[in-house]
Amino acid sequence: MGETIVIGLANGGIYGLLALGIVLVYKGSRTLNFAQGEMGNLGLYIAWVVIEQWHMPWLVGAAVAIVAIAALGGVFERLVVRRMLDAPRLTVTVATIGLLLFITGLELKIWGVSPRILESPIQGLGPKVFNFFIGPTRILSLVALLLAGLALAVFLRRTDFGLGVLAASQDPTATRLMGVPLGRVSSFTWIAAGALGALAALLIEPTIGVFAPGVMTTLFVRALAAALLGGLTSLSGAFAGGLAIGVIESVVGDRFVDATFPGITTVAIMCVIVGVLLVRPQGIFGKVRA
Amino acid sequence: MRISPRARKALFLALLFAALPPLLNRMGVLSPTRSIQLGVAVCTAAAALSLNVLMGYAGQISLGHGAFLGIGAFTSGLLTAKGPQVPFFVGLAAAAVLGGAFAFLLGLPSLRLRGLYLTIATVGFAFMMQESLFKWRTLTGGSAGLELPRPRAGTFSFINNADYLAVILVLLLGICLIDGNMVRSKLGRAWLAIRWDEQVAQSFGIDVARYKLQAFVIAGAFGGVAGAMYGHLIQFVSSTTFGFETFSLLLVIIVVVGGLGSRSGVLLAAITFAFLPRLLTAIKGWDLLIGPVLLLDVVVRHPKGLGAALLERRAERKRKAAGSIVVAPADQSMPKLPSMPRPTGLPARPEVLDGTPLLEVRNVSVRFGGLQALDDVSLTVPKGSIVGLIGPNGAGKTTFFNTVSGLVRPLSGSVHLLGQDITRRPPHERVGMGIGRTFQLIGLAKDLTVRDNFLLAQHLIAGYSTVASMLALPRSARVERELGERADQAIEALGFERFRDTPVASLSHGQQRIVELGCALVTAPDLLLLDEPSAGMSPAASESLAERLRDIRDELGRTVLLIEHNIPLVLDVCDEINVLNFGQLLAHGTTAEIASDPLVLGAYFGEAVPA
Repeated sequence: MGETIVIGLANGGIYGLLALGIVLVYKGSRTLNFAQGEMGNLGLYIAWVVIEQWHMPWLVGAAVAIVAIAALGGVFERLVVRRMLDAPRLTVTVATIGLLLFITGLELKIWGVSPRILESPIQGLGPKVFNFFIGPTRILSLVALLLAGLALAVFLRRTDFGLGVLAASQDPTATRLMGVPLGRVSSFTWIAAGALGALAALLIEPTIGVFAPGVMTTLFVRALAAALLGGLTSLSGAFAGGLAIGVIESVVGDRFVDATFPGITTVAIMCVIVGVLLVRPQGIFGKVRA
Repeated sequence: MRISPRARKALFLALLFAALPPLLNRMGVLSPTRSIQLGVAVCTAAAALSLNVLMGYAGQISLGHGAFLGIGAFTSGLLTAKGPQVPFFVGLAAAAVLGGAFAFLLGLPSLRLRGLYLTIATVGFAFMMQESLFKWRTLTGGSAGLELPRPRAGTFSFINNADYLAVILVLLLGICLIDGNMVRSKLGRAWLAIRWDEQVAQSFGIDVARYKLQAFVIAGAFGGVAGAMYGHLIQFVSSTTFGFETFSLLLVIIVVVGGLGSRSGVLLAAITFAFLPRLLTAIKGWDLLIGPVLLLDVVVRHPKGLGAALLERRAERKRKAAGSIVVAPADQSMPKLPSMPRPTGLPARPEVLDGTPLLEVRNVSVRFGGLQALDDVSLTVPKGSIVGLIGPNGAGKTTFFNTVSGLVRPLSGSVHLLGQDITRRPPHERVGMGIGRTFQLIGLAKDLTVRDNFLLAQHLIAGYSTVASMLALPRSARVERELGERADQAIEALGFERFRDTPVASLSHGQQRIVELGCALVTAPDLLLLDEPSAGMSPAASESLAERLRDIRDELGRTVLLIEHNIPLVLDVCDEINVLNFGQLLAHGTTAEIASDPLVLGAYFGEAVPA
């Protein structure tokens, strides 16, 4: 049981990272970014090219991937989201589905359907907890989640621009009147979401082992559940939600998985989503909005 | 028997659709592969139309519609291939029933959810279906899949692809016809009103929960049929056929690109998307990139969809052809309001003498979080009077209206209409009992035309069933004709013939207010709650408003409760005045008493009143 929970926490950290991206975009654009998972997947391909084909160190590949996907987020915001400020929010959500399809298409066109493998950054078994070795990347992912979460929280609460981001999510018009450049706020949320997506993908890859076009949708659904536990607006809620989803998935998978019913973990997570929506639509950690 | 032109056209199309594919096939023009491709387009169109009912008309965004297709395909497949081996049309009917039943199960809890949260719940539903029922090996075969037979009628079978294409073309035509019938009936109007604003819909007397559920069930049933059509077309379905990434997302894209609520736009988009990959295979692999880029281009340029863009262009051309745009003079005075006889079909209301209390509100309190919006307010409105409700901004006036009309449920206290306790009645029932209201920001479905709004205002007297709506039964046609006549009478009485087919949103605020008042009066409510009727009106119009308010009382015999900031108007027309301040009833009395009450003057002008 102990190791199940530890695995769950480590995976949950990654869902939390993706969920942070979902929450940021929701705060900035009031829309769901369906491409959040797949943006990270594209980052994996970029890292793979840099590390496996150009034989550069893992860290360089990771940095290139993160910067590239952050740029992709920025470009998408500039070309699509920014031009849809007055459009119905659903249409913007459909645009993110367009981005998801575009990225999947790009991966298929360039790299084809066959799965790829990226070596994990740190080798070895890692420390032993509850008679179980925790892989170094799992530890790395938890540390990265904590750092990213803390950095975001400090940035959002302690800087003028960060406060502008938080204010814009509450009342865009009033925030604009206070002199906050809404365009830059929107850019920032998408760039940060891109970077978080790439980081999350890099950290989960060693656990899944392989990656292929379109594999990140299942991850996206888990991240969505995590974001929802935080009511889509709470960063710390998304963080905690990610850990909770990871543990639920791990425990259910350990206890109940059965060959005739392979999808039970997904069903369990969906039950969490629907249950949260019905009982507390503002999320477990979210605040009630008037 | 007389056959209407529309029915004749439908019959002709049905015969054409039934005859053409087999004929072309026998002539060697239509190959079996091409038939399958066309069939996929037909099934996609049917599925997109079913989602359009939910998203386009009722405004309920679902990203999980693929699940209903799967339910339909598996239902029909299991019944026709395994087990009882029923005929194709029985399988189809069962697909509709089960699709509708699951949609009901999804819709019931979803009544509590709005916007993006509802959307997420539908994603959850789709994944749950995909991972549980569709992957349940002993039932559906899981990833190994299920083979579906083609229909067969006696010795004649539809194994030939072109013959089956004829079958599903006729089915698609049927769905289109039902869709058209619904849009032209009270069902479609109610959905569009809900899409615009649920509170506005309730004030028209629409039972929002019921109509939303109907949208879910009808969309689910159509989705089930579309799924069964598709399953029997490709003759094999598995747990991955109706996945979230494949069908659900594609359908949403089609409906949004085609234009929410635009049938022809959605049909066009469905056929385009079904054929796009074929058209682009010439440029191998690039279709995967060109498709999404086209999609992004369309949503950025036409956020309301291609259908809406085409409609706007057509309207523009019409306007240009008609010459200059007719603009009413801004200082148009308030026209005489229509005096409509009380329609039949409403529950009987007791006739009472003027002066008996029509509305009695007893000790009502309302709290929003930490804010005490209403604090132990009691108020009586005698029949045949105009009663004013005044007070500074934030005093709780509109909250009081919401309590009377049922949009807000009080923490304590009760509301009585002619002695009957209505505190627990939902808003739409109160409209039926004779409470009409107008809103500060205009309680109309502004994206619909003036005439549509007058039809909506008669929702409660449109006495025909949902089935009659869907099948355009004679009864619904007759009732609709009567409603239309009444609407036209009312529009003529207001002198708004020119604006009959103009969307309300393009009228001036003052004109919208006149239409709103006309709509509120068209079903002859006993009590009219008017929330700042003079706001945004020209001085000329608000001057004549006083006269019109007196008409409502004296000529039409209605009772009015009036919120108004225009104090001269209030002092001019009201028989009695109530003053609210910080949620409490500060004063109550005849107009003369209130006009000289030092407490009121203090609250209003913030002056220390000399003792």
